[in-house]
Amino acid sequence: MACLSTSGRKGLNVVVGTRNHQTQKHLCKLFWQQKISRSFCSNAAIAAALLCKNNANSMSSLLPQRNFHGVGILLQRNAAITTGQDYFANMHTNTACNSSSSGPTSTTTTSSPNVNNKSSNSTIITRNCRQYSSVHTQQPAGPVREIQIDPYIILEDDLKYFYDDVRDLLRQGTSQTELDKIASYYFDGQGKALRPMVTMLMARAINYHLNKESSNLVNKQRFISLFSEMVHSASLVHDDVIDQSDIRRGKPSVNALWNHKKVTMAGDYVLSIASIMIARLKSDDVTIILSQILTDLVQGEFMQLGSKETENERFAHYLTKTYRKTASLIANALKATAVIADADENIAELAFQYGRNVGLAFQLVDDMLDFVSTAETMGKPTAADLKLGLATAPVLFACEKYPELNPMIMRRFSEPGDVERAFELVHKSHGLEQTRFLAKKHCIEAIRLAQELTESPYQKGLQVVADLVINRMK
Amino acid sequence: MWKQIVTETNRQWATLGKYHTRLWPFAPAATFTFAQQPTARKLTSTSAAKPTPPKHDWNRAVSEAERIVGYPTSFLSLRWLLSDEIANVALHLRKLVGSNHPLLKTAKHLLYNGKNTMQAWGLIVLLISKAAGHASSVPDMEQDKSAGVLHSQRALAEVTEMIRISHLVHNSIVNLQPTSEAGKDTASYEDMAFGNKIGLLTGDYLLGHSSAELANLRNQEVVELISSAVRDFSESQFIGDRDEQNNPLPTKPGSEPPETNGTATTESIDFDVNDVMIPMNVLKAMGNPEKEWECRNILNAGSLLGKACQGALKLAGQDEDMQRQAYLFGKHLSLAWQACLDAEPFQITTLPLDTTFSLVSAPVLYHLEYDPSLYDEIEKGKVSVEKIDYVKIHKAILGGPGLEKTKELQRKHTTAAIGVLEKFPATDARTALENIILAMQDL
Repeated sequence: MACLSTSGRKGLNVVVGTRNHQTQKHLCKLFWQQKISRSFCSNAAIAAALLCKNNANSMSSLLPQRNFHGVGILLQRNAAITTGQDYFANMHTNTACNSSSSGPTSTTTTSSPNVNNKSSNSTIITRNCRQYSSVHTQQPAGPVREIQIDPYIILEDDLKYFYDDVRDLLRQGTSQTELDKIASYYFDGQGKALRPMVTMLMARAINYHLNKESSNLVNKQRFISLFSEMVHSASLVHDDVIDQSDIRRGKPSVNALWNHKKVTMAGDYVLSIASIMIARLKSDDVTIILSQILTDLVQGEFMQLGSKETENERFAHYLTKTYRKTASLIANALKATAVIADADENIAELAFQYGRNVGLAFQLVDDMLDFVSTAETMGKPTAADLKLGLATAPVLFACEKYPELNPMIMRRFSEPGDVERAFELVHKSHGLEQTRFLAKKHCIEAIRLAQELTESPYQKGLQVVADLVINRMK
Repeated sequence: MWKQIVTETNRQWATLGKYHTRLWPFAPAATFTFAQQPTARKLTSTSAAKPTPPKHDWNRAVSEAERIVGYPTSFLSLRWLLSDEIANVALHLRKLVGSNHPLLKTAKHLLYNGKNTMQAWGLIVLLISKAAGHASSVPDMEQDKSAGVLHSQRALAEVTEMIRISHLVHNSIVNLQPTSEAGKDTASYEDMAFGNKIGLLTGDYLLGHSSAELANLRNQEVVELISSAVRDFSESQFIGDRDEQNNPLPTKPGSEPPETNGTATTESIDFDVNDVMIPMNVLKAMGNPEKEWECRNILNAGSLLGKACQGALKLAGQDEDMQRQAYLFGKHLSLAWQACLDAEPFQITTLPLDTTFSLVSAPVLYHLEYDPSLYDEIEKGKVSVEKIDYVKIHKAILGGPGLEKTKELQRKHTTAAIGVLEKFPATDARTALENIILAMQDL
C-alpha cells in the first residue's frame, strides 16, 4: 500500500510519460476479451505471490484496500485474493517504476491496517501528498478540511495509463501519421485530467454505494472517462481554430503548428474515435446521454456568439451558456457512469447534479482566475475572455456597481481601451468575490449531494474535488 | 483569389443534376421537378451499357424515386431549417456576404442551386432500404407503411446527409496560418477568421445533432459504423501531398511510398469487415492511378454512402450478407458517380475561363501514369494550386488516354453496382435505383 500511494506521485505526468510499452495492448481486445484479462490476472497473481515473499507487509497492507472495492470485509480469504489481483498486478508495475525513478519508497504513513475500521481508509493517504497534486491549491478550506484525500492518488490505477490509452486508441484508428500527431497533441499528459478524474471518482463511489465490484464494470466506466477527456480535447482543438490563440497549456496551440483545415478534421477524428469507443459499450442509454454532451457543447458555442440579450436575461444567458459549454460534459459523463452501473434514477440524477454543480463552479472559478492569475500559471494569456469580447461572471457582477460597463459589454469590448477599463472596474468592484461566492455555493451543493452516497474513500474524494475546484490556482 | 480553394468542394457540387432547377429545400414533396430541360450533351461511349430507353433523364429518375419512398427525406423538415442555431448561422452568413470566404459558396450551393448530390444521398439510403425490405419481426409502430421504409431508416438517411454537409462545411475552412498567403492577407483576415468560426460551428452543430439522432436509433452497431465513416472523412483530408490550402496533389510519379504509421491496416483497398476501427491501407495504393483514386474517393464519399446503406439494412434486421451487399452497392455507386464528375471537365475541348478541376481526379492520375512529365506543371502548385496552368493540363489530358480510362472506370463501378442490385428482389425501389444509375451514365 505504501508503495502504491507514494510511487506514482512524481505526479501523474511522470508515470504516464515513462510507461513501458510492454503492457501496450490492443484496447479493443481489452474491451471484450475477458479471457485474456483473466489469464493476465492469474499470471500477475503468481508474480505478486513471489513479490509477497520479499515484502512481508504487502499482504496485510493490501487487505484494507479491498474496502475501496466495496468488498465485504469478512469475505473468505480466497475471494480477497481474487479481488486483490489487479492490485498485485499494479504493484508489480509500480515497483518497477519506483526503482527506475527514485530510491526506496520510504514513506510509510499507512496506519496499522485495521481491516474492520472503514475510517482508517482515509488515513492511508499521506499527508503531504497534496503538494504533489496536479491541481495546485491554496490551503484547504471548508468542511472537509480534516480529510486528507488526494483523488489523484486513490484513482491512480484508473488514471495512470490514461493518456497512453487515449493515444493508443487514436493511433489505431488511422494510417495517417500527421492526423495521429495532431489528434494526440493535447493528450501529452500535461493536462489536469480533471474530467476523467471526477468521472472515475463518481463511478467508484457509485459502485461502492451499490455494492458492485466487477472490474468489467469499472472498465466500462473508464471508457466513459476516456470519452469525457477526448470530447474535451476535441473541443479545445476546434476552439483553437475559432479563437486563433497561439498558446495553450504553455505550448504552441495546434492551429499555430498545422493547417487549419487539417486541425478541424483532426477534431472530428477524435470525436469519431470516441464515438466508436462508446458504441462498443453496447448501452443505448449511455450513448444517448453522452451524445447530449455534443449538442450542448455546440449550442453553448452558438450562445457565445450572440450578445443580443438584455441586461436582465444576461446572467441567465451566461449561466446557461456555462452549463452547456462546461458543466454538461461533466454532468452527463457522471450520469452515464451511474446508468451503466444500473443505478436507479435517483442516483443517476444525483450524479448528474453533482457534476453540474462542480462543472459550474469550475467554470466560474476559471472565469475569475482569468482576471487574477498570471499568464505563467494559467498557461494561457490572462483577460483572454475580455479580449475575445466575452462578458463573464465577474464583469456581469461588476456592472451592477459600474453601469458604464453595459455599453462595453454590448460592443464586446471592441473599442480601444475597453479591455483595460473593464479589467480595472472588475477589480474595483466586488465582482471577483461575488463570483467566488457563487462558485462556493455550487461546491457546497455538490458536497451535500456527495454526502448522500455511502461513505467511501471515493465518496470523500468527491467532496475533496469540490474543495479543490474552488481553491485551485490554475 | 478564393475561387480555386473551393475547387475540390465544387467538384462535388457541380453534379449530375446539371439541369436540375428546383429550389432544393423549399420544394414541396409532391412537386419535385420543374422544367425538365433536355439533357443537352450526350456522351459518345455510353451506348453499350444500356440498350432500352434511348435516353435516361436524371431529373425524372430522381423524382420518380422520391415518390417511391415518400417525401424526399426528413432532412428537409422545417424543424431543422427553423432551429435557432441555423437561423443564427444564416444571420452571420449575411455578414460574410461580400467577402470571398468559401463557406459562402458552399452555402449557396447547398441552398439555392439544387445542383447537389446531397439530397440524392439520403434518397439512395431510403431506396436501398425499401429494395431490401425488413425482417418480419419489426413491429408495426416502427414502420412507415406508405413509404415501405422504417422510421429509423429515414432518420439514418437524414444523418447521412447531415454528416456529409458537415464535412463539406468543415472543408470550406480557410487555412489562416501566418505562413500561408491567406494568413498574410491582412485586408481579408478578419472576414476569413469570422467565416472559419461560423463554418466550424455549423459543421460541429451538424455533427453533434447527427450523433444525437444516431444515438436515438438505439443500435450501437450502426453508431459504430457511421462514426467510422466520420473518421474516414477526416482521414481523407490527410492523404498525399497538399498545397497550402490543403488541396490535394497527386503523388509524384515513381516516388517511394511514405512511411506508415505502423498500425494495423486492412489488406486490400477496403475496410475490414470485422473491425471498423481498422483504417484502410491507403499508403499501399499511392502511385497506382486507379488504386489511389479509389482510396481517396472511398474515404471521401464511398465510405459514408456504403456504410449508411449497410446500416440501413442492419436496422431492418437483414443478415450480414445482405448488409455487405448494400455496402458494396453504396460504395460502387458513389465511385461511379465520382468518375462521372471527374470526366465532366474533359468533355469539352477548351476549358472555360477560370474553371479548374481537381488534380487528383481520375483523368489527371491516369495521364500522369501515361506521361509523368506532366508532373512538372503540377509541381508548380506545391504552394497553391492556383499557380497551375489548368488549360495546359486540360489540353495534355485530352491528347492522352485519361478520359477514355476514366469512362472505363465509371463503367466498371456502374456494372458492379448493377450487379449487386441483382441480388435484391425485383421491386419498384430496385428499378428506381437502376434508373438513377443509368441516367447517371448519360450525363
